[in-house]
Amino acid sequence: MIIEYTLLAIGLSIMIFGMLGVLRFPDVFSRLHASTKCDTGGAMSILIATALLIDTPFMIKVKILILTFFIVMLNPMISHAIARGAHKAGVKPEVEVDMYARDNP
Amino acid sequence: MSRVTFYLRERIEEIKSRYELERQESKKLPKEEKMILTWIIILIFWFIVSGEFYWQNMLVGGIVALIISSFMYENLTDDLRCRGSLVRKILFLSFIQIPQYIFIMIFQVVESNFRVAKHAIFLDIDPGIIRIETDLRSETGTTLLSNSITLTPGTLTIDVSKKLDKTYLYVHWIDVKTLNMKKAGDEIKGDVERWLKKIFW
Repeated sequence: MIIEYTLLAIGLSIMIFGMLGVLRFPDVFSRLHASTKCDTGGAMSILIATALLIDTPFMIKVKILILTFFIVMLNPMISHAIARGAHKAGVKPEVEVDMYARDNP
Repeated sequence: MSRVTFYLRERIEEIKSRYELERQESKKLPKEEKMILTWIIILIFWFIVSGEFYWQNMLVGGIVALIISSFMYENLTDDLRCRGSLVRKILFLSFIQIPQYIFIMIFQVVESNFRVAKHAIFLDIDPGIIRIETDLRSETGTTLLSNSITLTPGTLTIDVSKKLDKTYLYVHWIDVKTLNMKKAGDEIKGDVERWLKKIFW
């Protein structure tokens, strides 16, 4: 019982810090950092806590774990697509070095 | 060898790397092993999604998985390295290598969450987009490597480009320490590339 509620609390606090990062970071790419990582970690721990907590047959718990697997595999791809599209559409990143703009003029 | 000029030495290294690539191309898995691996993966997925274990269910699942794997065998397992027999490879994958990868990635994800929380509170960021080089050449290996880089602390992959059979990754690093390609690559990729090079080429 303690483990599940600890996991839920950790997931919620990770989500809150990710939201804080999305609000405070300066440009698109830094905000994608916050959204991707905190979404993945928070959703993982919340789904694992749900799978341990609910009272269902075993296969449904395995299905929830499969959902966490899909979230972990798909979340980085979506952030990669958003970052590449933003860079190609002309959003200027606030960075010191930009080798991507130098190599693809 | 010491008298060879710099240009010629570069050419020799290029030819060596191309030779290596062709040798790896010829060492792919044979067709039956690819089909069996695809069949096993589809069958496990079918069992988890259906969630019932009657014999009719198993029989229909097995036949449909066999039909699918007979023409889709190249999509999933085309990039695997050929090493050892099939049974040894399946045992190694399911009991040693995939748990190792999950163990590495769980710690990386937890550490990256704490790092993002720290950056969000103190705003001590110093971002930059840099280019690193990998030894992986296949599509699946590059995809898994860039996903892992996005989940490791402080980095986000933006694009992949292939030039002269070398793969380069463009990485948005939130706290740039070096601009050197080798040092940055060692620091960003870490253990994940060594793990991926055992399985994909």
